[in-house]
Amino acid sequence: MNSMTGQANTVNLQGNKACALGAVAAGCRFFAGYPITPSSEIAENLAKELPAVGGVFLQMEDEIASMAATLGASMGGIKAMTATSGPGFSLKQENLGYGMGAEIPCVVVNVMRGGPSTGLPTRPAQGDIMQTRWGTHGDHPVIVLAPGSVEEIYQQTARAFALSEKLRTPVIVLFDESLGHLVETVALPDVADYEKTVRKWATGKPEDYKPYHGDADGVPPMARPGDGFRVHTSGLTVAENGFPTQKPHEVDALMKRLLGKVALNNDLIESFEAVECKDAEVVIVALGVVGRAARKAVKELREAGIKAGLFRPVTLWPFPTESFRKQTAKARHIIVAEMNAGQLIHEIAEVKTGKQKVTGLNRYDGVPISPVDIKKTVKEVLGHE
Amino acid sequence: MNKQVALKADDAKKTADGKEFNIRDYLRLDLFPHFMCPGCGHGIALRALLWAIHEQGIDKDKLAVVCGIGCSGRVGGYIDANTFHTTHGRPLAYATGLKMARPDLHVVVITGDGDCLAIGGNHLIHAARRNLDITCLMLNNEIYGMTGGQGSPTTPRDRFTTTTPAGNREPVFDACKLAEAAGAGYVGREVTIHLPRLRDLIAGGLAHKGFSFIEVMSDCTEVNGRKNDLGSSPEMVLGQTRTMRPPDYEYDSNVVDHPFRPSGLHTGVFVQSDRPEYGAAYRDMSEKLQQGRTKP
Amino acid sequence: MAKAKKQNPVLVPESKKLDPANMTEPVNILVVGVGGQGVIMVSKVLAQICQNLGYQVKQSEVHGMAKRGGVVFSHVRFGQQVWSPTIPVGKADVLIALEWAEGLRWMNYLRPDSGVFIADTKRIVPPFACRSRALGAEIGYSKDTPDDVKAKVCEAFAIDATEMAAKAGNERAANTLLLGALSTTLTFPTSEWKEVIARMVPPKTVDVNLSVFDQGQKWIDGSRRGEPVEGGAFVPLVQPEVNPERTMLEITAEWCKGCDICVKMCPERCLVLNKDQVAELAEPEKCTGCHICEWLCPDFAISLNPVSQEAAE
Repeated sequence: MNSMTGQANTVNLQGNKACALGAVAAGCRFFAGYPITPSSEIAENLAKELPAVGGVFLQMEDEIASMAATLGASMGGIKAMTATSGPGFSLKQENLGYGMGAEIPCVVVNVMRGGPSTGLPTRPAQGDIMQTRWGTHGDHPVIVLAPGSVEEIYQQTARAFALSEKLRTPVIVLFDESLGHLVETVALPDVADYEKTVRKWATGKPEDYKPYHGDADGVPPMARPGDGFRVHTSGLTVAENGFPTQKPHEVDALMKRLLGKVALNNDLIESFEAVECKDAEVVIVALGVVGRAARKAVKELREAGIKAGLFRPVTLWPFPTESFRKQTAKARHIIVAEMNAGQLIHEIAEVKTGKQKVTGLNRYDGVPISPVDIKKTVKEVLGHE
Repeated sequence: MNKQVALKADDAKKTADGKEFNIRDYLRLDLFPHFMCPGCGHGIALRALLWAIHEQGIDKDKLAVVCGIGCSGRVGGYIDANTFHTTHGRPLAYATGLKMARPDLHVVVITGDGDCLAIGGNHLIHAARRNLDITCLMLNNEIYGMTGGQGSPTTPRDRFTTTTPAGNREPVFDACKLAEAAGAGYVGREVTIHLPRLRDLIAGGLAHKGFSFIEVMSDCTEVNGRKNDLGSSPEMVLGQTRTMRPPDYEYDSNVVDHPFRPSGLHTGVFVQSDRPEYGAAYRDMSEKLQQGRTKP
Repeated sequence: MAKAKKQNPVLVPESKKLDPANMTEPVNILVVGVGGQGVIMVSKVLAQICQNLGYQVKQSEVHGMAKRGGVVFSHVRFGQQVWSPTIPVGKADVLIALEWAEGLRWMNYLRPDSGVFIADTKRIVPPFACRSRALGAEIGYSKDTPDDVKAKVCEAFAIDATEMAAKAGNERAANTLLLGALSTTLTFPTSEWKEVIARMVPPKTVDVNLSVFDQGQKWIDGSRRGEPVEGGAFVPLVQPEVNPERTMLEITAEWCKGCDICVKMCPERCLVLNKDQVAELAEPEKCTGCHICEWLCPDFAISLNPVSQEAAE
């Protein structure tokens, strides 16, 4: 999936800056944020880029307001984004849930750092994997994209806008401090298609319009303020007409559509990288920056005669379950390498179909997992057989 | 010409397009009767707002009403406009994003004393500081009504609420002073019984280019009134002109007063400044950048 | 209409004029009006002249409570010997009224056989006269015309003094114009009147006051001679027309929550809560369309709609 189609001249680019440029390239014209390490460069770059293209950059009074203002701008009909790190992401959860419930597109970037609490602000970690999935209260649909390189940050940020607009839901872009601050030589991929993907706007007679009646793809067209529809948008559970309801059958129908629209569009959402998985005895599951170490480890293990493979979900949530099952069909061992005390491993243990043994490789000391760590774990696992 | 005709002529003057104000043109009639308790002042405040909107000739399609949570948060849903019922305390933050993204919309925020001063206090002071062209109506009923009558930042001293069972001892916020100090371009306060005055105050806020903060003293008859023996609904409404409000709200002597309320609650327009409006200032900067006149 | 309605062909002979020098009883002049018109000024001028001519004079006035717009009256009695300062009912020789209805109110003080009534047709309608808020309610102000008055007293003059004074340059000189009129009923020389007036009015207004004094004299003389005189117009007070449209309350019962605000706030008390605790217009004829119930209804349950008067009845 890591397509290198871009023919543009190569540039040296920082991960956070690539995120900002990707957003602008995808048509993002609004950013509201609050300074937080290690994501501040995203805001700083957008403060420069957005006014120059007629967009709006706002530094809000806090993380909550940033999330709220982003949703407010999107309700007004423009592509909007905010960026933060763990503590800020925690603060944004309530309003992020509002975006999911009221079906308001936007992109939220979380550049992970060590936790809990203030933790290790300048050190990488992957401790928010489950917070992205279950951070806000109640059942809710979630799309999380986890790029693994500077180029992919550019591309996936742009793609996040496309998915968000198309499916009318917030999309989270998740990477970590090491990627955010990584400067790489990249050829920027063409994201014109993502830029062209815009929201499905309500048309026709206002009196016939039902703000929360989903089309065949489960996504209701959105009414843009000023177009004459004059609808009500609420965080309350609503009926198809947009007004609050407590009738069980209406609530049930709304929830089914809300949770189902992501599954319904899984082909669009799913993305992953599989390296040498077909005949792999040991498949390493790694996310983001860890994928880079795993790629090297797989190469070296293969050279040493060990049938190793890598499965790297680029779309973290919804987890690409079917593809994962296909890719790990032959494996006897699955090693989940993550920079936390074990989060993704729960999902892997749940979705695997065969009798593969699942082993976790965890680091939470503020240091990225290295190829050596992975090779060691693979050998341990195989040696223990 | 008798008085009635005179009164009608006066009303006609108040309309923008010569059409008389009919509140039902601005309501989502299929949602009525509304959820508010008998005698709730929020209904009167809503009439004042809609009348002011009519007077200002604001197109319903271009009107965005952003609300928070609580009794005040539910008020916006009855307006036939683009309405947003957002999260607790955050309507001003949502409205900030909306107004910056869509300067063509008239953005009105309806919030309450708890929504605006407690959980959303930070957003109020920063919205006032930015002075973005938003009209913020704070319906102050001195209590958390929807959650069952807990004390709020404006609950007067010695008032009984479910969280101040022995009488409130916390001092109150003076929201108008707060907004003024934070830099709001237009600040005023009015009680609901003086409906035409409240309408004019709101109309002034809608017309003002900048952040307008309007505190509406509203009656919570069912929760606040019952618990504190403040009388029946009409008694509470009438009491607004007498001694119902405690002197905690007292302003310095340099503000508007009127002879009907000698007890210390001041009303009227407190601030009307020409501080620059942030949206226009931002767009000016952005345009210069786009034309390459200024380097970031 | 600029002419006196009734022509009186008999010019009062000099002998019929009041001459305190040849009278045993004092001459009684009653001056009435409302606060701000200059009632006191008229009586002061008159008293001063009497004093200058060597008569005893007593002046009694009540104006303490009047302020501007309230009732003011002043009794002036002069002659060889004057004991009481107040004029008994039926003993006034001349009644000078600076306001029409005030003149009518004091008419019983005039001598039935010889009293002279001189009044400005200026009408100052007190708020109390408008106390009925009912639709088309009549204003509580006298409807009597100069003809009605003339039938009741010996001699009556209705002058539009305020209008004439305004034309002359100062509306407030109307009282001096009436002094001119008064002077025709007394034997005092005109020069004496003018001298006192010139001394007592503000210096800047001496000319206009002396000019209207002449006008007042001429008006009465001309009127007595039956000549057409300016300023005799009496335009009846405009009573309010019944508005062809009136408002009707439309109460949406399903929206009403029975909070009682409209019932208690209605100034006419024409609303009630019915047995279902829903507001009802019990006495529609009392409704003045003041909007208070509509404006203060928190449930938007009340609308005021214009309907034709006939439809309402």
